[in-house]
Amino acid sequence: MAIRSDLLTDLTTNLSSTSVAVSTQVPYVSGDIPLYVKNMKKMYVDEEQQEITELYNCLDNNDVLQTETTVNAYVCVDAKTQPTDIDTVVSTCLNAKNSIANTIIRESSVENEYQDDKIIYTFEYRFITV
Amino acid sequence: MAIINVSAGNEAVLVLGDSAANANIAGSDGLTVPSMQDITINNSTGVFRFKTLDNTAESAVTTPATNQITLNVVVDDAAFFGTGAGSIDTVVDEGLFGVSKNKTRVFFNAGFNGTDATSKFVSGSGFISGLAPTVNMDSPVWVTPVTIEVDGDYTEGVVS
Repeated sequence: MAIRSDLLTDLTTNLSSTSVAVSTQVPYVSGDIPLYVKNMKKMYVDEEQQEITELYNCLDNNDVLQTETTVNAYVCVDAKTQPTDIDTVVSTCLNAKNSIANTIIRESSVENEYQDDKIIYTFEYRFITV
Repeated sequence: MAIINVSAGNEAVLVLGDSAANANIAGSDGLTVPSMQDITINNSTGVFRFKTLDNTAESAVTTPATNQITLNVVVDDAAFFGTGAGSIDTVVDEGLFGVSKNKTRVFFNAGFNGTDATSKFVSGSGFISGLAPTVNMDSPVWVTPVTIEVDGDYTEGVVS
């Protein structure tokens, strides 16, 4: 789980001067409420999801494999009074993809979702290694 | 009668050497080309066509064949650049790149169904050509086509 660990390190460092903190816990559900909803303005990074596929199939079965790793991260803030630095937080989170070395694809995206008077930012990081 | 299924991973085999003895498919002195993606053994004859007044269709005869083995491989540094020195075979020492640029004659055994006794192979000799290693960020592993321009005819063989 090196990618999740590296993301946590980068996010912890670069979000330290913002209104959002970073938790090392995974975003499990406690009492039907995800931790990131219960603890607003705290970012949670989920476990890695991996898919290993063949890049090159060889006749001697010495195949070349690639690993696609996806990591989701969540942060929830008050939708009525968003933190003034939310733009900085979002861009910092998106740029955390650059902290992962030795990958051929490094991508990140963010989606927003409202839940009552809260807004949940879901970040998705995608990496491909060979 | 049986189809030849190569999915076991040790069936389609290409062994190169600087002599027919070293290229023996059942031996260990030659270079067994690793990580082949595909291999094609071409035996393409030419055709001479002619017309006669007493025939409603063309006649044809075949002319000597162009023999060529083409393959694509994922580049293995030892196989491509050689091991340097120390083996008893030039192809192993110089690798595919070395014997290509040095225009060294290579002997080959191309196995159809492995190296066990009674397995079929074709053999011959020729020159390595057509190397074009390429890589890009969508496929970040070096791959290259390889062509063996066969000098003369193939010989069909059976592993003893």
